[in-house]
Amino acid sequence: MIKTEVKYGIKTTDKATLEKWYRLMTLGRALDDRAPNYLKQAIGWSYHAPYAGHDGIQLAIGQAFDKNTDHLFPYYRDMLTAISAGLTAEEIILNGISKATDLASAGRHMSNHFAKPEWNIHNVSSATGNHTLHAVGVGRAMSRYNHKGVAISSQGESSVSEGYVYEAINGASREKLPVIFVFQDNGYGISVPKSDQTANAKVADNFRGFKNLEFIYCNGKDVFDSMNAMETAKKYVIENQIPVIVHANCIRIHSHSNSDRHELYRDDYELNYVKEYDPLGKFRRMLLRYERFTEAELLAIEQEIKAVVKDAHKKALAAPDPDPKSIFDFVIPEAIKVEKYPDGIHQLTGEKKKLIEGLNETLKAEFRHNPDTYIWGQDMANKDKGGIFNVSKGMQQEFGVERVFNAPIAEDFILGTANGMSRFNDKIRIVVEGAEFADYFWPAMEQYIDSSHDYWRSNGAFTPNVTIRLASGGYIGGGLYHSQNIEGSLASIPGVRIVYPSFADDAAGLLRSAMRSKGMTLFLEPKALYNDPIAATPIPDDFMVPFGKARVRRTGKDLTIVTYGNTTHMSLEVAEKMQKELGISVEVIDIRSLVPLDEESILKSVKKTGKVLVVHEDKVFGGFGGEIASIITEKAFEFLDAPVKRVGSTYTPVGFNRILEKAILPNADKIFDVAVKLYQY
Amino acid sequence: MSKIAIVYSFHTQNTKKAAEMVVKKMGKNHVEKLNVEDTSAEEFMQFDTYILGSATWFEGELPNHWDEFLPSIEERDFSGKNVALFGLADQVNYPDFFGDAIGRLAEFFQVRGAKIIGHYPNKDYSFTESFALRGDKFVGVILDYENQADMAEKRIEEWVKILDKEL
Repeated sequence: MIKTEVKYGIKTTDKATLEKWYRLMTLGRALDDRAPNYLKQAIGWSYHAPYAGHDGIQLAIGQAFDKNTDHLFPYYRDMLTAISAGLTAEEIILNGISKATDLASAGRHMSNHFAKPEWNIHNVSSATGNHTLHAVGVGRAMSRYNHKGVAISSQGESSVSEGYVYEAINGASREKLPVIFVFQDNGYGISVPKSDQTANAKVADNFRGFKNLEFIYCNGKDVFDSMNAMETAKKYVIENQIPVIVHANCIRIHSHSNSDRHELYRDDYELNYVKEYDPLGKFRRMLLRYERFTEAELLAIEQEIKAVVKDAHKKALAAPDPDPKSIFDFVIPEAIKVEKYPDGIHQLTGEKKKLIEGLNETLKAEFRHNPDTYIWGQDMANKDKGGIFNVSKGMQQEFGVERVFNAPIAEDFILGTANGMSRFNDKIRIVVEGAEFADYFWPAMEQYIDSSHDYWRSNGAFTPNVTIRLASGGYIGGGLYHSQNIEGSLASIPGVRIVYPSFADDAAGLLRSAMRSKGMTLFLEPKALYNDPIAATPIPDDFMVPFGKARVRRTGKDLTIVTYGNTTHMSLEVAEKMQKELGISVEVIDIRSLVPLDEESILKSVKKTGKVLVVHEDKVFGGFGGEIASIITEKAFEFLDAPVKRVGSTYTPVGFNRILEKAILPNADKIFDVAVKLYQY
Repeated sequence: MSKIAIVYSFHTQNTKKAAEMVVKKMGKNHVEKLNVEDTSAEEFMQFDTYILGSATWFEGELPNHWDEFLPSIEERDFSGKNVALFGLADQVNYPDFFGDAIGRLAEFFQVRGAKIIGHYPNKDYSFTESFALRGDKFVGVILDYENQADMAEKRIEEWVKILDKEL
């Protein structure tokens, strides 16, 4: 535990500083008190979480934050934090009433989530506390780039219950990162008393066993204690380069938010004494008692603030509303333009490289090309082993542990810190092995969702630039947890490109495109093909494949098979057999890219053949093939001579015994049977 | 002759009740009552012996009225002065911070030269941690009106006897 250095006090702090604080607190409170009126008048601000009672610590966080060096992650109750950090009254109201000129998100994100991207005051989600991971990611970048600054993450004490907070703090402590985690403890998570969250009264105590981590406890209702605490914390973090938790005791004078009625669970006695503890009231009394200000001076300030608020209100009301036509802006950043290989096809012949070599060599080439690339994941780098399948073999040796490193078994942390690190500067490109196997990716889903819409939610201000690589699919006798295909579930989430190459050249080309593009790409690797010669191809050194470009791997005129991943090879095998044995000419389209989807190529082929079979390894029911089939039926109905058929796995998990796996997963025989019947329709 | 002041917030309930009982039990000793909410530093410094009363608020905090008063005397010298403390606390709901406030007051005055008198044995209490505990004694008597109201009078009586001996 660190002893707070006493720098500020009622008698010692200069009048100008006291006045600055009083102005900020008065302005904050005026807006906090006024916010519910906007809802009552149906103007907006349908979500407001009043901060009254947290005044001391919120003032202090904002004052400690330096926009030239630091990053700030406020939570949904941090109105005064945002104001203290520099947001104007007008900017607060614009956010509250969701105007197009709201800095945080132009009305796209819920109100009361304040941000100013230009100052690195970040737009955080409503998944309470998950920005702890982002703060750690930024902290990692600060450490890598020897940047003198801090990442400040702020949250309520109850949200510390979330597992990702433990992952974040573990990470910051293990990596020794310059992060300040502030816990604003007001005793409640909505209506739930904090004793229902955890056994320790002060949740910061839960982390006392972590190494490289310090603690400061302060009275968040007291301006001076809070200011001293935050200054001490920041100084300590910068000097020692380890994280600090600041636990600030506050009170929540009002309900959790406008949709909560705290009279239902707090009695009059509690509500009364909580009002007595109003930090603003206390500060005002002390300014007068110690004759730092006269009553007249304070009243004059209060009058001025009233005028500021009135003026801000007028300006905000007059601001433009978001345009409904703008909904498609910033869903996903523009990908890099692929000039040399506009269709993602090359003419190179000669030595074939396996899928795994394609990936390994492309990773290395990209790391040489861009010094701001990073890769991490589980089991990434231990001497001669590079990744569970050795895809990253040799990388740590060449690029060093600063750029190629292991992450703990914490998938949400792996992805969340990638999102965070991206915020430091937009030259950074990150590749994560999201999990050892796609099957283990699910704990990262909350970060996947958050990251998928960061660009949209921030109205284009921020995009995480991350490629998520996952070893996918079965055919290795891996059972339920080493065989999953997850693209069917994830394709319905806008904001992430999804690619699933079948051949080594496409893998290399798509990986290069992903790593050079802004935004997120989910890069699914058919692990059964890593070393399979069937997937090996020549690969030009500079090969790139544009997103949303399918590849016709075999031309034909009688039937179209639309496929990707492992089943591409089976489909090619089937096409060859159908030609040889039955004289049927089958066109095989390897879509390569699911999101964005090359509808044009698919529909062009359908119009030519009139019969389509969609094949993928994933389950038929709920699989991505359903989307492809629907698009075809909707847009090429007149050209169809038969129903669109699908082949994929059974609607069951994948069994471990190879007998079960064979019955469950598609194979060339199953595809052949359906294809022949379809041809005969 | 020692000038004694009993200092607490006149707007409290249990603290005020306890203070009045302390004065009663002290009998012939003249004890001046001071309201911490509006006492000036000059007024406060006139005394040689202080009996300070405070509840513990939230998790080990001093109530606002003490917090707001202390800066006015933080540069004063209390050498040669005695400080006795009575605290109010709830051992069931706040067992980890039992009576912390008087521990904080004791520290404040000790650092400024005062002698703490009236240490009270840790007897018949049930709690986990206390900042007011020094070895096996508290820095003053702790009254728990939430859970042990019936023991308050007896505890005050015992404590006043201890004070009498030390004064």
